[in-house]
Amino acid sequence: MCNRSVALIQREIEKIGISTIGISIVRRFTEEIRPPRAVFLKWPLGHPLGEPFKARQHTTILRRSFNAIKEIKEPGAIIDLPYKWKSKDWEDQS
Amino acid sequence: MGRIKNRLLAKIFTRFPFLLRGYFQRRGLRGDSAIPWTPLKKDLRDCKVAIVTTAGVHLKSQQPFDMKDKKGDPSFREIPANIPTSELMITHDYYDHKDADKDINIVFPIDRLKEMREAGEIKAVADINIGFMGHIDDRLLSVLINKTAPEAGKRLKAQGIDIVILTPG
Repeated sequence: MCNRSVALIQREIEKIGISTIGISIVRRFTEEIRPPRAVFLKWPLGHPLGEPFKARQHTTILRRSFNAIKEIKEPGAIIDLPYKWKSKDWEDQS
Repeated sequence: MGRIKNRLLAKIFTRFPFLLRGYFQRRGLRGDSAIPWTPLKKDLRDCKVAIVTTAGVHLKSQQPFDMKDKKGDPSFREIPANIPTSELMITHDYYDHKDADKDINIVFPIDRLKEMREAGEIKAVADINIGFMGHIDDRLLSVLINKTAPEAGKRLKAQGIDIVILTPG
């Protein structure tokens, strides 16, 4: 299952000496596998960056993810991002 | 018939991800106690970034992931950054990728990373990114952990990648 295997892959890449950040959609799996760092979004499977063609939404998630690499000081921590699925906050964009 | 059943389950799990907890609970696999840790020592604007996804993304010209083996497919595909997204496709029966088929950036944000590079927010995008198909189970999980995932990591390391962002399907 994607949300489990992605965290297993993340651990292997970090082990090789690259800083990693994972986007999690199923928090339970991320808690079980314990990759080094993750941001969690309570969004549907298949939409880690959000809705199709909402570029500002995708970029926001990327920026928050990259920031999390510095913010997370404790291995295995998960940051819960505050964005609701299909929030009206994104509707002012193309 | 198996593929139709998987696609139906995928639609249900896409809509109600919490159901997956029960479905996969018995198979839960906990990472070993030591969490790997590589602190980032550079500023983001000096970093070369790669995407690793398990959403089943690959080039149309590459062999699709194996959807017949119920245990999944632990192999990966190398996805160049310098191709139009119209040359990419998704092979993955275990989640509903209807939206990602419309705009692959929601699972493989390559256009967004290029924009961040143009804006100077990151230094570079990996020439070669990595696509897995995340449905991997039983004995094939050990192939993933011991062979294909470390191999993908080595190829990223050889490109001088500073940050990998990982996205599920």
